[in-house]
Amino acid sequence: MAPPPGLRAFWVISGICLALLMILPLVPLAVWSVADGWRFPAILPQVWSADAWRYTLSPASGVLASLWSTTLIALSATALSALIGIPAGRALGLHRFRGKAAVELVILAPLVVPAIAVALGLHAVFLRLGLTGTTIGVVLVHLIPALPYMTLVMAAVFANHDTAYEDQARSLGAGRLAIFRLVTLPAVLPGILAGAAFTFLVSWSQYALTLLIGSGKVVTLPLLLFSFASSGRNDIAGAIGVIYVLPGIILLALTLGRINGRNVALPRGGLT
Amino acid sequence: MAAKTDPPAGPSSGGGRALFLLAPALIVIGVLFGGGLVAGAWQSLAPLLPGARLSLDAYRAILGDPGFPGALGFSLYIALTATMLSAVMATAVALLLRQTFPGRRLISFLVQVNLTIPHAVGAIGILYLLSQSGTLSRLAHGAGLLDRPAQFPELVYDRHAIGIILHYMWKEVPFITLILLSQMQTIGQDYAAAARSLGAGRWQCFRHVTLPLIAPALAAASAIVFAFCFGAYEVPLLLGPNSPAALPVLAYRVSVDADLATRPQAMAMAMVIAALSAALVLIALRAARRAMGRA
Amino acid sequence: MSLVSRLALCAATLAATQGWADTPDGAALIGQDWEKIVEAARGGEVNFFLWGGSDTINRYVTEDLGGILLRDYGITLNRVGVTDTAEAVNLVLGETAAGVTDAGSVDLIWINGENFRTMRQGDLVWCGYTETLPNNALVNWNNPSIANDFGVPVDGCEVPWNRAQFAFAHDSATLAEPPRDMAALIDWIKANPGQFTYAAPPDFNGSVFVRHVFYHAAGGADALLGPFDQATFDAVAPKAWAILNDLEPYLWRKGETYPNTITQLNNLFANGEVALTFNYDASQSGAAVDAGQYPATVRSYGLTDGTIGNTNYTVIPANSPNKAAAMVLQNLTLSGDAQLRKADPAVWGAAPVIELDRLTPDLQSAFAALPAHPSVVQPAELGAAALPELQAEWISAIEKGWAENVGR
Repeated sequence: MAPPPGLRAFWVISGICLALLMILPLVPLAVWSVADGWRFPAILPQVWSADAWRYTLSPASGVLASLWSTTLIALSATALSALIGIPAGRALGLHRFRGKAAVELVILAPLVVPAIAVALGLHAVFLRLGLTGTTIGVVLVHLIPALPYMTLVMAAVFANHDTAYEDQARSLGAGRLAIFRLVTLPAVLPGILAGAAFTFLVSWSQYALTLLIGSGKVVTLPLLLFSFASSGRNDIAGAIGVIYVLPGIILLALTLGRINGRNVALPRGGLT
Repeated sequence: MAAKTDPPAGPSSGGGRALFLLAPALIVIGVLFGGGLVAGAWQSLAPLLPGARLSLDAYRAILGDPGFPGALGFSLYIALTATMLSAVMATAVALLLRQTFPGRRLISFLVQVNLTIPHAVGAIGILYLLSQSGTLSRLAHGAGLLDRPAQFPELVYDRHAIGIILHYMWKEVPFITLILLSQMQTIGQDYAAAARSLGAGRWQCFRHVTLPLIAPALAAASAIVFAFCFGAYEVPLLLGPNSPAALPVLAYRVSVDADLATRPQAMAMAMVIAALSAALVLIALRAARRAMGRA
Repeated sequence: MSLVSRLALCAATLAATQGWADTPDGAALIGQDWEKIVEAARGGEVNFFLWGGSDTINRYVTEDLGGILLRDYGITLNRVGVTDTAEAVNLVLGETAAGVTDAGSVDLIWINGENFRTMRQGDLVWCGYTETLPNNALVNWNNPSIANDFGVPVDGCEVPWNRAQFAFAHDSATLAEPPRDMAALIDWIKANPGQFTYAAPPDFNGSVFVRHVFYHAAGGADALLGPFDQATFDAVAPKAWAILNDLEPYLWRKGETYPNTITQLNNLFANGEVALTFNYDASQSGAAVDAGQYPATVRSYGLTDGTIGNTNYTVIPANSPNKAAAMVLQNLTLSGDAQLRKADPAVWGAAPVIELDRLTPDLQSAFAALPAHPSVVQPAELGAAALPELQAEWISAIEKGWAENVGR
């Protein structure tokens, strides 16, 4: 039942509009990064310049240092989330037990309650513990949205996981650790990598949490972006914006093949 | 969702092993998330100054504060509007991407790329695009449609939060779309094919077969989107008016006030944000479940 | 050596060397030899919290001050930008209330006015050490506008950094003759609807604009000087609110919303959405022209009936763990070289706060030879019509009153 040609044309045109809309907000940002003067009503910059990029990539701007610290924080939060979330996901995906619905609610709760509400209250506690203004404090607070997300992804992965091979290995006398390393891990690895990529992006995108707990001393890329945007330096903000979105696109390209409807049930959390 | 993670009939150890696997996650969430909420609740009832008693003063104060109801209403309006518009548009986009037409894969990729763009970048981009002296306004000027920036419609820093809602739609439509797409892929073509073979038109097929099947996923995704839009801080900070401020912006402003006596009010606002999000999401999910039961 | 004693030795060494670059104990530093203080600070760090809304200031602090600190003293300068100085004050306040008295995260704050008053009242400031700074001799403490910060006596608790005076800016290409006094400004706004707005208090610059309106409503600054008087405030405030509310329909967006920050106002000005902007730091116009944000035809100017001027300072919180390093930084900010570099419009353009005739002849002629930025009104010209600042309590009352009577 082929679609009538008019309908097909409608789809193509809608598709083009959609593609343009997806790109549109990013264009002024990218153009600003190579502008030196760009005032109304000029559609293109009055003065072009690579100064913004030169400054952004130099050590004086702090962008490269911030890129490093943002990556470090995101990697740490992802690693911790994976460490804690993989076993938790297995329990949710493969085990039946009383109170499971309640446990799911607890795991889901941080995704439903806005993180800022929790961080405002947590700030005073972290202050007393000396965790404010530290990278560790920021990693911990990033766990709040990151961990539930990783857990749910892993739950979906394990729900589709066939334990038959593990049972066979056990019946052949293999120990727990060996089973995990040689049988389970290779099977769920694509799911873990996909989950890790999304979790990385959750931490990568955080602004309010880092601002509150980092007390301005932990300078991640979004904070620098805001800082330059709010001091009127649209050109530097544009350059930082471009740098800020690149890792996400790279991660997406890397995990593209591994994501399908089956091994990642519900992407959510910081990617909303 | 409970159905999805229920294990198939097969080996399942009892609660003991499950608890062992879940313990670290539950502890971390309990301490960080639960602890944060409890600490916030405590601070909303008792000021930081020594010798103060527990009381609901902070809650009374924010109800009496002229800024609070405005902020609450503003945030609710933004979240509801953005969620509803995004849900409708995402359904349309999901249907579109299920069809085959030239360029579909590229468009699919672009939609996925959108997911990786942080909100801060999107908001700044929308600002540069839609402000009265932004790119669209300059294009309009170039086309001879206006002379001065003031003639361009007020899309950012405005009381209707148009820029904010457009940004949320820009980010959330791809999010909901991808959830719907994965759900549609799981459901498969069979039901729709059966309906079409029985003579149902495209719209009928959608309205009576596809829509009820994707409704649970749509409801869940919309609930999450609502909670996010209600509690987000950086987007209204960048694109919103000075007054009314969105509730999270107001809560942050009060929390950095040098007058420590107002700190409990900031915590009270945080508690309101938390309670309302949770309540509204639960209500929405329950309503969706009931609607499903009827369909 | 057993493992335990090895660990104990490590711990002891750590504790001993920690003292070298960590100096929370202020009392020990007051009156000390400057050389000893420098040695105590060497190799350490200082966390400097200041308003982050100006790129030129950020660069000057990070590159110039930070560079010299690292090169000459081995101290690492961490610049922390805040949207509002109150955030830094709030951090110190929260930490002190939480019992953190020795290991605060803030070592130095760029501050004045009601923020200083808040810190003084909360006993959050370290005082009494300023005479220990060698360059303190360059400051003329007999000048009442330096010895008093918005009416609060400095009392050895702050070190001055810049003098600043409020100025407007217009684009001479689109508006050749801007209104040059408050009455003319009010008439001009009504005659040119939608072409003017101001940043909403408590933005620092928006707040001082509202104070100019207050002076105008009171018929002059003299009526409001001195300690806060509720009766006088109640008499003048309604007139000021009336002026501002009358103006609302003629403002940008008909006064339904105001720019949140001075940067938003500057953006509106840069794109021609409004015809005027202003700043407490007149050099910002020059900086914006150099950065390409404003067209080169922008000129800043003062009012004939005077604009408000003030001194701004840096302050060391009582719970700072790096007091010696903070002292070294403050001494550096007062040095003739640093004040000269800061006054260069290509770097920042901020007016010096030290007495120029106490400097060496070389430095004096260097100051005299500083180029004037075409877009920046000269401090001498502005200073001819300078108005004093109000005391801090007036400012809190005005900001609160604005939010209730005008901002809604």
